[in-house]
Amino acid sequence: MKRYELIVIGAGPAGLSAAIEAAKVGMEVIVFDENARPGGQLFKQIHKFFGSKEHRAKVRGFKIGEDLLKEAEEAGVTVQLNATVVGLYPEKEVNVRIGDEIKHIKGDSVIIATGASEAVVNFPGWTLPGVIGAGAAQTMMNLHHIQPGKKVLMLGSGNVGLVVSYQLLQAGCEVAALVDAAPKIGGYGVHAAKVSRCGVPFYLSHTIKEVEGTDCVTGVTIAEVDSSFQFIPGTEKHFDVDTVCLAVGLNPMSQLAEMAQCQMEDNPKKAGFVPVADEYGRTSVDGIYVAGDVSGIEEASSAMIEGRIAGISVARDFEYVSEEEFKEKVEGFEAALGSLRQGMFAPENRGKNIEKTEEGIAVSKNLLKKGYLEEEVFTFPGVKKIKGLHPVIECTQNIPCNPCQDACPKGCIKIGEKITSLPDVDENSQCVGCGMCVASCSGQAIFLVNEDTGDGMGTVTLPYEFLPLPKVGDKGTALSRKGEKICEAEVVDIRTSPAYDHTSLLTMRVPSEFVMNARFYTG
Amino acid sequence: MEKLQDRFADIGEFIPQQDDDVIVCRCEEITKGEIRKAVHEGIFTIGEMRRYLRNGMGLCQGQTCGKMVKGIMARELGIRPMDLTPATARAPMRPMEMKILANDRSGD
Repeated sequence: MKRYELIVIGAGPAGLSAAIEAAKVGMEVIVFDENARPGGQLFKQIHKFFGSKEHRAKVRGFKIGEDLLKEAEEAGVTVQLNATVVGLYPEKEVNVRIGDEIKHIKGDSVIIATGASEAVVNFPGWTLPGVIGAGAAQTMMNLHHIQPGKKVLMLGSGNVGLVVSYQLLQAGCEVAALVDAAPKIGGYGVHAAKVSRCGVPFYLSHTIKEVEGTDCVTGVTIAEVDSSFQFIPGTEKHFDVDTVCLAVGLNPMSQLAEMAQCQMEDNPKKAGFVPVADEYGRTSVDGIYVAGDVSGIEEASSAMIEGRIAGISVARDFEYVSEEEFKEKVEGFEAALGSLRQGMFAPENRGKNIEKTEEGIAVSKNLLKKGYLEEEVFTFPGVKKIKGLHPVIECTQNIPCNPCQDACPKGCIKIGEKITSLPDVDENSQCVGCGMCVASCSGQAIFLVNEDTGDGMGTVTLPYEFLPLPKVGDKGTALSRKGEKICEAEVVDIRTSPAYDHTSLLTMRVPSEFVMNARFYTG
Repeated sequence: MEKLQDRFADIGEFIPQQDDDVIVCRCEEITKGEIRKAVHEGIFTIGEMRRYLRNGMGLCQGQTCGKMVKGIMARELGIRPMDLTPATARAPMRPMEMKILANDRSGD
C-alpha cells in the first residue's frame, strides 16, 4: 500500500492552499480531485473578489486560481486529477478510484477539502430540462462559453444568485426576474445594485409556484409568500422563460468525514451537516483535518485561508515546523480570516436583522427589498455633492473590503483601520479623474461624477463590463439605479487599461439634473 | 448513531396534499407523497426511508434530495430537521460499475 505523509482530498481553493503550506515545509503531499481540472469553483469566477489588498481583493477569481496552481507546482505538490475518493477510514486509509481501478492508499494525515454541492428546491416542473443550478449556468458560460438559455429566471438572491445573474447578462442572456422567498436580499447590496441598474426586477417574498413545459421549460409562475412561506392566492406572476436557475444555497459535501467517524454536527451557522473541527481544522479523529466549505459554507477567500491554516497545522503536528514558526504563520492567517469574517455578512450574523451600519446610519430598506438605493443614498459617507469632478461611492453595507482606499493616488477615499467601515469621500481632496477607484471596486459601486460641466450638462463615469464596448460619440440612454430609462446620454469617453483589469470606464454626458441618478448606459 | 425516535408518537392521519405528486428524489423518481405516506407507515428514520423507497440511492447518492427528504420527514413527524440523523455515509461514495469494484487491489 502506497503511503503519503499528507493526502488532501479536493483541489479547490482550500485543498490547494493546504497542500501548498504543507509541501513548502517539506511534507510529501498528494492531492486527489475527481474533476478533470483543478481549482474547484475558482475558474468559473470571472468577477473581482472582495477583501483586503493584502489578500487578493479586486483580483478576479480565475486569476487567483491560476496563481494558486502555479504556487502549488512550485511547492512540489502532486495533483492527481480524475481521481475520485470513494472511501475514507479512521486509520486514514483512502480508497481512490483512478481510471478503472480502486487504489488503497494510506496517509499519515488527511485533509478533507471536498467543498460543497448546490442545494435545490422542488416545485412542479423542477425536473424539466432548463431548470439548472446557478453553478451549472456558470460552468456553461465561463468554462464552455455557451449560453444556458435566452431568457432566464433566477431563484435566490444570495451572492451566488446575484453574481450569476450579472454574468448571465454579460453573456447576453435576458434575466427576466430575480426571485427570493426571503423578505430581503441575501447577498451584498452592491451586487444587487449592479443587476438592478441593468433593469432586472427583484421579487422578494416570492417563490416559484410552477415551471411549465412538456419537453423543456417554456415558462414559470411565481407567487408571493406570507411570513410562513405559504403562497398568497392571487399574487401569481408569469414569465415566458426557457431557463430557470436555482441559487438556493450550498450543502457541505461532508460524507467522507462522517465515513471516517469524525464527530459531526448539524449547524445552521455553518449551513449544514459538518464535521466538528477546532480553529486549526482538526477533527475529532487524530490526523484528519478539514478546510473550506466542507466545514461550513463561506466565500472562496475564507476557504483559501482555512486551507493554509489546516496545511500548516498538519505540518506542526508532524513536527515539520517549530511551534514558533507555526505560531507566527498561523497568527497572520487568523488575522486575515478574522478580517474576512467581520461586518454585516459575517457567519455570526447569519439570519440577523441588522438595522444600522457600524457608523450608525440606517441600512437602506430599498436596497434590501428592491435591489437599489433611492434618496437615502445621500445619507452615506461616500455620496456627497461636491463641486467639480469627484467620486461617488454607493457602498452602504459594512463588508470586509478596502481596495478603493489605496486606489486613489490623491487620498480622496478613506476607510481607515477597520476594513468593514464605509468608504468616506474627502471633500477637500482633488480628484484627477484617473478612474482607478472605479475599476478597483469589486462591487462596481464607484462612479466619477461632475454635476455641472458649465452648460447645464454633467458627466458620469461608470464601470462597464459588457461587450461590445460602446464608442465615443454613441448616443443612447442613461438608466437609473432601478434600470429605468431616464434621459438621453452621449458617450464622451471610453477608457480601457491593463490597470483596470478588464473593467472599462464609460463616461457619458447627461443633463445636470440627472447626474446623481444616471448609473448605467444602454445603446 | 441514530437518535431515538418515539415510535408511538401520534403523528395523525396521512392527509393528501396538492403537491404530493412532485418528484423529490429524481434519480429514483420518488415523490413527496410517497415519502409522506411512508412516514405514516412507520418509517421514522432516513436510513429506513432509503431502504424502503430507495430515495437517495441513485446516481447522486442523495446529494441533491437529502435535505428535502429530511425536511419533508421532519414536518410530517413534527420535529426539527436537525433531529433526524442523516443517512449513513458508506463507501463507495460515488456510484460505480461492478467491474471497477472487482478490480480492487489489482494495481497493488
